[in-house]
Amino acid sequence: MSDLKSNLTDRRELISFRIGEQEFCVDIMAVREIRGWTPATPLPQSPAFINGVINLRGAVLPIMDLAARLGFATSVTSARSVIIVVKVGERMIGLLVDAVSDILMITDDMVQVAPDVACDRVRSFVRGLISIDSRMISLIALDRLLPELDQLAA
Amino acid sequence: MDELEEIKATFFLECEELLADLENGLLAMQSGSADGETINAVFRAVHSVKGGAGAFGLDPLVRFAHVFETLLDEVRSHKVEATLELVRELLRAADVLADHVQAARTDGAVNEAASAQMAAVLDSLTVAGKAATAAASPVAAPPVAAAPPPPAAPAPPRASLPVDDGIGSNFRPMTVSLASFDAAPLAPPAGDGDWIVKFRPKTELYRNANDPLLLLRELERLGPISVVIDDAELPGLNELNPEAAYLGFTVTLKASLQESAIREVFEFVDGDCVVDITPPAPPPVEFDLVALLKAAEDVKPAADFTPAPQVMFKPLAAPPLDLMASPGPATPPPIPVFAPTAAAPPPPPPPAAEPPPPVSAEPAPEFTGVLAASIKTPAPKPQPAVAEAPANAQATIRVDPERIDRLIDLVGELVINQAMLAQRVIESGLASSSSVALGLDELEQLTRQIQDGVMAIRAQPVKSVFQRMPRLVREVANMTGKQVRLVTEGESTEVDKTVIERLGEPITHMLRNAIDHGLETPEERRAAGKPVEGTVRLAALHRGGRIVIEVGDDGRGINRKRVLAIAVEKELISSDATLTDEEIDNLIFLPGFSTAKTVSDISGRGVGMDVVRRSVQALGGRISISSKPGEGSVFTLSLPLTLAVLDGMVVDVAGQTLVIPLTAIIESLRPKPEEVKGLGPQGAVLSVRESFVPLVDIANALGFRSEKRAPSDGVVLLIEAEDGGRAALVADAIQGQRQVVIKSLESNYRQVEGIAAATILGDGRVALIVDVDALVAMRRRDGARNSEPTLFAAE
Repeated sequence: MSDLKSNLTDRRELISFRIGEQEFCVDIMAVREIRGWTPATPLPQSPAFINGVINLRGAVLPIMDLAARLGFATSVTSARSVIIVVKVGERMIGLLVDAVSDILMITDDMVQVAPDVACDRVRSFVRGLISIDSRMISLIALDRLLPELDQLAA
Repeated sequence: MDELEEIKATFFLECEELLADLENGLLAMQSGSADGETINAVFRAVHSVKGGAGAFGLDPLVRFAHVFETLLDEVRSHKVEATLELVRELLRAADVLADHVQAARTDGAVNEAASAQMAAVLDSLTVAGKAATAAASPVAAPPVAAAPPPPAAPAPPRASLPVDDGIGSNFRPMTVSLASFDAAPLAPPAGDGDWIVKFRPKTELYRNANDPLLLLRELERLGPISVVIDDAELPGLNELNPEAAYLGFTVTLKASLQESAIREVFEFVDGDCVVDITPPAPPPVEFDLVALLKAAEDVKPAADFTPAPQVMFKPLAAPPLDLMASPGPATPPPIPVFAPTAAAPPPPPPPAAEPPPPVSAEPAPEFTGVLAASIKTPAPKPQPAVAEAPANAQATIRVDPERIDRLIDLVGELVINQAMLAQRVIESGLASSSSVALGLDELEQLTRQIQDGVMAIRAQPVKSVFQRMPRLVREVANMTGKQVRLVTEGESTEVDKTVIERLGEPITHMLRNAIDHGLETPEERRAAGKPVEGTVRLAALHRGGRIVIEVGDDGRGINRKRVLAIAVEKELISSDATLTDEEIDNLIFLPGFSTAKTVSDISGRGVGMDVVRRSVQALGGRISISSKPGEGSVFTLSLPLTLAVLDGMVVDVAGQTLVIPLTAIIESLRPKPEEVKGLGPQGAVLSVRESFVPLVDIANALGFRSEKRAPSDGVVLLIEAEDGGRAALVADAIQGQRQVVIKSLESNYRQVEGIAAATILGDGRVALIVDVDALVAMRRRDGARNSEPTLFAAE
């Protein structure tokens, strides 16, 4: 009984999505909604990975091109592109990804440390790797995506 | 938040208002515009703070408030004269009281030394006042007047409340043996100046969480009291309802005061109890009453004292002297029923200023035998609580600001939605005369009205900010050794809450600056032939859809020579620059500029005015100064009335839609090619009626387009920056003028240079609101970076 309980508390749900050929995921608890792509209003003086801002029911939501953020080429947006709205700290931000794949149920011990070979940028944004059905999915460290915003402002 | 905390929060809210009332009242007294009601209001404010604080056990606050209140009470009863010096001390005491409240609120510590010293000052003022007037007081029967009333008065031996430390915090409930009543004298003798207060709480009183003990304690503060419990209505245990009120209290109060003072004690329980106050009466009557009470007791044992037989009485012809001779009355012989005595006593002389009830052969007072029943006396009906009612009992409600903010957000959504709908209708090709379009027009009007109405709810008079300033002025004046009079105007000018919250800081800075730098020392003023006391004027007014705050002083004005010298010395400007007086004055807003010879706590760290300017600009406001040597300076601060909506010009820039605040725009025009002149390798200016204005291409400045475009292909918006400088912004096309709801970029992202905020347009897309000043400043800086150093110097 107690084993079952602890298993339940260890268990986490993740949303996985694709950028190019690679799969990534974020904790489902951080996700507020998933919506289709709408053109964003570009912001001046902003890094390339910030697409701009959109209207999310009255709030101004910045859109981050996750591919560009992780060091891939800037996304080419299409009707199939998806915005995952996540809450990080007090901020809401939209992550632009190519497509959402599915919802995963994992336990904490399934998360492996990313091997050394990965480049610095990947290492800093990827909390760990998850292996499911011979797929490799990288768990994104959401909190690390944003602090640079403050540094940019300085 | 638990319930107690909630009540406590309410108490502190009320404290804020009370402290504001207190300060206003004192200021009115200082300016000589006070009347009797003012000092009453002042007293009530401190009294209420104390009362509330007592309920929460905030002892330090209670202690201080008590000392304060004691002095105010004496000022109120004209025992202490309200001189200007006294009022000054009272104002200081009000500040200390505010500190106490703040400390209690934040669980912080108060400056004990300052508080104790202030309390000592207050105390000394009361004693001095008493010594001066004690002899003059006609009623001052020795035992009462010799000692300060509440703390040291010897309490009557029996059935009285124990003497406490004067504050009530040491009050000990006492056990009352009901059995002893029969044998005991009912009350000590009611002599000259003794008030009889009959007080019978109703059940509601207890239900409203009031406590007769507190009221008795309050009464005791007025003078020595003795209390007799009337348990006549107390039923047998089997019939007793534990939640009902059965007991009554008869309080004999030895004090010379106005009836209103006693009424005030019961102010908070008005309607929840029966209070009957009998003014001090000539001895015979009082004596008879007591005897009668006793008699009634004797006739009917306390336990089943039902509405008694009608007892008629008339004052006995007991000579007053008798009473005087034997103050502690031997238990009067039980007299079952008073037979009216034949002769009425000669009316004795009035004991106090208060007219005594003329007791004579008038129809005798009728006493029904039930203590709670009113004792009718022929005394002139005392003015009831009507005069005591708060002068401005406005019907207001307290609302959680968050609810209003939410409402305003929703109305913002409504405005956007309505705009979107309107756009869709136009796109669908419906005629503007169609019923849908007409209905939409009406909707637009209604939306606008709702928006105005909701904004009005949140609008507040600037009074709440201005009220904090007298204290600041006093403190700064004390620190600098200057004498300052603060004059405020336009306190009722209303602004949106979002602006109110941001007003305090710039006003504080400007006031400090005016006193510290603007005003001369008293000696200098005397030498200059000015009144020793400097005047600082703080005014608010509406002008052109904005709120304008002016802070003026009658000091020495800006020393332009020195300002210029310092600016050159600090390399803020080049030494050969020629500036107009106005430009020199505005140099003080430059970062790092400070003319103070010594760095003081108050101002002069060189962060003052440029910080003020920046915070004001962040709000879409502007600040400027004008000065006349020897006559003083005036800071003028202008801010939008609200930070929630903005009237803007919607323009197209490189495929983007941008909003430019209308307040910045002077005019829009389509430049002819020959009006555009190149200046240096990069820059260009526009010739507008013989003057040259730098051209700023918005698309280039914000990085939306890198290649240059001929300004004559677009539209030019002539704008005026905060510093009064002009610029010509180049946009591609103008869409029109619109009111937009301001949305923060920072809440989810961060500040973007050149962008003030965002908004949502009719098509549901986000549009950016241009920060005109930042844009111009950016452009100037970038231009400087790209161009020759010589050009920079000229700029």
